[in-house]
Amino acid sequence: MRDDRIDAQRVAKQLEEPVREASALAKKLGLDPYPVNYWIVDYDEMNQLIAYGGFQTRYPHWRWGMSYDRQRKTDQFGMGKAFEIVNNDNPSHAFLQESNSLADQKAVITHVEAHSDFFANNEWFGMFARDGEMLDAAAMLEAHGSAIGSYMDDPEIDRGEVEKFIDAVLCLEDNIDQHRPYREAGLPREKQGPEDLRDRLDDMNISDEVRRQVFSEEWLDDLAEAEEAEANLDEPQKDILAYLRRHGMTYDEEKDRAVEMEPWQKDVLDMLREESYYFAAQKMTKVMNEGWAAYWESLMMGEEHFAGTDEFITYADHQSRVLGSPGLNPYKLGKDLWEYIENSTNRREVADKLLRVKGVTWRNFHDEVDFERVQELLAPDPTIDGIRSDTVDDVVALGPDDPRIDYETLDRVLSAREADEESPVDVDAYPWKLLTYEGMAERHYSLVKPQNRGFVRRIRRSELERLARYMFDDELYDTVEEALADLDYSAGWRRMREIRESHNDVTFLDAFLTDEFVTESHYFAYEYTRSSGDFRVTSTDYEDVKKKLLLMFTNFGKPTVAVYDGNYDNRGELLLGHQYNGIMLDHGQAKGVVERLYDLWGRPINLMTIVKEYDEHDLEIARRRGREPEPVEAGKRIRYDGESFEVHDLDDELTERIAAGDVDYDTKPDDWLA
Amino acid sequence: MGLREDLERFHEVGENRREDLKEFISYGDLGGSGPNSINIPIKIIDLPEFAYDRRDMGGVGQGQGGTPDVGQPVGPPQPGDGEDGDPGEEGGEHEYYQMDPEEFAQELDEELGLDLQPKGKEVVEEIEGDYTELTRTGPNSTLDFEKLFRAGLKRKLAMDFDDDYVREACKVEGVTADDVFRWAREENILVSHAWVADAYENIPDDERGTWASFEEMAENVEETTTMQRIRRDGLRNVPFRREDERYRHPEIVEEKQKNVVVVNIRDVSGSMREKKRELVERTFTPLDWYLTGKYDNAEFVYIAHDAEAWQVEREEFFGIRSGGGTKISSAYLLAKEILDEEYPWADWNRYVFAAGDSENSSNDTRENVIPLMEEIPANLHAYVETQPGGNAINATHAEEVESSLSDTGNVVVAYVKSPDDVVDAIYKILSTESNDD
Repeated sequence: MRDDRIDAQRVAKQLEEPVREASALAKKLGLDPYPVNYWIVDYDEMNQLIAYGGFQTRYPHWRWGMSYDRQRKTDQFGMGKAFEIVNNDNPSHAFLQESNSLADQKAVITHVEAHSDFFANNEWFGMFARDGEMLDAAAMLEAHGSAIGSYMDDPEIDRGEVEKFIDAVLCLEDNIDQHRPYREAGLPREKQGPEDLRDRLDDMNISDEVRRQVFSEEWLDDLAEAEEAEANLDEPQKDILAYLRRHGMTYDEEKDRAVEMEPWQKDVLDMLREESYYFAAQKMTKVMNEGWAAYWESLMMGEEHFAGTDEFITYADHQSRVLGSPGLNPYKLGKDLWEYIENSTNRREVADKLLRVKGVTWRNFHDEVDFERVQELLAPDPTIDGIRSDTVDDVVALGPDDPRIDYETLDRVLSAREADEESPVDVDAYPWKLLTYEGMAERHYSLVKPQNRGFVRRIRRSELERLARYMFDDELYDTVEEALADLDYSAGWRRMREIRESHNDVTFLDAFLTDEFVTESHYFAYEYTRSSGDFRVTSTDYEDVKKKLLLMFTNFGKPTVAVYDGNYDNRGELLLGHQYNGIMLDHGQAKGVVERLYDLWGRPINLMTIVKEYDEHDLEIARRRGREPEPVEAGKRIRYDGESFEVHDLDDELTERIAAGDVDYDTKPDDWLA
Repeated sequence: MGLREDLERFHEVGENRREDLKEFISYGDLGGSGPNSINIPIKIIDLPEFAYDRRDMGGVGQGQGGTPDVGQPVGPPQPGDGEDGDPGEEGGEHEYYQMDPEEFAQELDEELGLDLQPKGKEVVEEIEGDYTELTRTGPNSTLDFEKLFRAGLKRKLAMDFDDDYVREACKVEGVTADDVFRWAREENILVSHAWVADAYENIPDDERGTWASFEEMAENVEETTTMQRIRRDGLRNVPFRREDERYRHPEIVEEKQKNVVVVNIRDVSGSMREKKRELVERTFTPLDWYLTGKYDNAEFVYIAHDAEAWQVEREEFFGIRSGGGTKISSAYLLAKEILDEEYPWADWNRYVFAAGDSENSSNDTRENVIPLMEEIPANLHAYVETQPGGNAINATHAEEVESSLSDTGNVVVAYVKSPDDVVDAIYKILSTESNDD
């Protein structure tokens, strides 16, 4: 084992420079990652880290054993190899597998820098941390690990009971309100709203005199009252875990009634809920985050030659495998979407400039503009594009005021040269060091890359019209040359950074998944058809595919179930409601959840849902005619009293409350093919 | 250590404790899609959660090589198609790629220092190969210019000499053109008589007699080599000749397809419990995969047996349990039948792998199994004994086979007591085969 450490140290030594330079390069490209600590681990340590979700310690539970088992088999049987894992923490910790080739290590380092930037800047990740407080996830998870570990070791507490309790909570781990900041998510929404205006006025230091003149006491009383009434509306609570934490009980067999939860139970519930919120952002941004990392990795490794030429082939191979894995691949989907955003933003900027040339309008744009010429004008300055140690003088010739040049670094290179010393910067290996962010944006301008030629020309008339509609200075330039000299090369990257700050997968796909993309990737939607008894392709239409895709990403791809009443029927029963969007619950699983939920509530549980029922006769006719039968939707209330289930019809008023009116995820064609 | 304990407790769930989770345990497949991939069954516990009805939800798929038509069946949804179903996925971010069997075989070769060469039976197939054959005529597009250039270059080198040097030789006191030519030939300078005569004529009279003898000249004038001259003057005038022209045409290649059939035999009798089954799976799967990677065409036969034997599909193979007794020869009988009928020894490399806990009905090993193993020609017969924690008293099958057949060269017995022994066993099995030439 000692020898292994020496190996790891050797690998680590080799990586010092790539790590330092990758971070510098990332910053030069406009990224702003958390600092990253890198660790070299062997394959078994890697498997363990992956099982633990990227951390070294977690609470004792069989689920980690299960992922470890799977991970180990995957590795052992050569079914796949994990290169790296990085966790969302400040500083982030990234673990690299010792056996990776140097090219792979460099690739994963660039990948990790981009992930870390995403963690640090995406606001869904910001929902977890308290404002202004440093994230310390490793410490939190470790503390949970030792607290739960000590409950398990406690001779007063049965270890099996703790495990069972954890399982029950885990069944509901996604039943949180992930769109609200963790610190307030547990509180009912209405408590935020009605704040007596008087308190606000107090804070505002308005003199009493003014206040009396503007707001009469009577008016303020009325206002407070009205707001309070408003807030009392019974709003379903999505964070079931928080509700259970406040009102949950546990059934005591000896006393034959529900009693308060043990302190350890409350504690465990708190901890697991906190972890759910911590991991929620990661689950909500998988496509964006992986695509983001793949995009920057490819730019740094491929275009900026962060891999040496000799390593490039290995890298290209690695990259094509990762992006080429079959199925709905988040890396590929995400990267393609980011590239689309970059190109279309850059194109909009180009069109914006061109429409301001005298004589160019949205109507004659495609006839008037010489796209070949535009393409030439867009190409980066050859000096910027071709920085090498023997072209440094060309860079100098651009002058000290050129915003694209990192003059400070250039100055250091030049003074070393004058003094006949070794250059402090290896210009051939790291040409980007002589450039600023602006320079980099020009150097890597997307629209001149070979795969994007023709993208400008393909701009639609409707988009041009939209751009032109509110344009004032539409005769700002005399020539195309003049117009493009004013071009902002960094428009695409700026837009990408804005989007990475505010979006999650659902909004990302909703906003940027295009018709073109769906068609080119051969995506299709499928449904189960009762007439043939199997899954069939139902649509290749863009809108349909997008609808299904959004369903798979909305609310972690799961149905929304919320607490509707904690004292149902005045008997202290819990009333949950499945907010029906046209798709049924998996009833087998739902019953499994409810059974376990009983351990957290201690009293009977009710679950409202809507089921689709098919009449036997209709089914038969449908089968014969090759049509799909029409289901009848009926509201049901499933009740579990700790021993058995009962199913009741749900009254119309409650059915109304859980049914969403205008959502339809069904993609079946009206006229089903026989 | 924490994770080891988590792993132990995971194995116990539904078996020794936590009966309440039994209904959520499934044995899924780990593995890729594609014709050559192999699936490894694993235990999965899916805690229930509020989820959509799988059928009612439908989904999104990606067409391979084109968008499919509406109405086309798509097969059951793959696990991992949706967001869920992947335990541990919530964690950090990591990259994967799929490895194919060929790569796996290569890795294993490197890891274990093996190099099993597929050999023996091959089916010959004629394929039009690369344009590597050459003829003297053909269309211009197939002209092998490299060959032409090389021939020309050779010609040039053969004909090239240091003309300044020979010219100096003409200036030696009192020599004739014939003398110079003879001297040049002795010095291996490839010059023609005509050239010498011509050069001799052109020497100005006042330069004749510059040197007293050839020896004096040689001492004072340095001869340059062809390389030096080419470097100095560049490569001018490469003499291309029609007779050097070669045209490529396709070569007919006899592509040899290497076939292998692997018979996997497993004892499914009552004594083969979970642990033993898992050890078999852990040993057989990499072996199958290794051989898939090594041969162009690998086929697999799965035989399960207790006191009787029957052929099964791979999906069932590792999961089956029956109650009956054990008679190992039944499986070999069936194997023999299948092999003789479908996989003649003349065309197929054969591997017969059997595994079990070494328990067999009395005398069956000696009287039936051993003769059958001798009768079935195969590259390799292997028996893998999976007996967690050592030996049972009446489990002697492995030992008997080993003592009677281990010197035949194509029989190997390996013992697997715990997952840690798997790699050693694989090594032992595969290295037996590779040494057997």
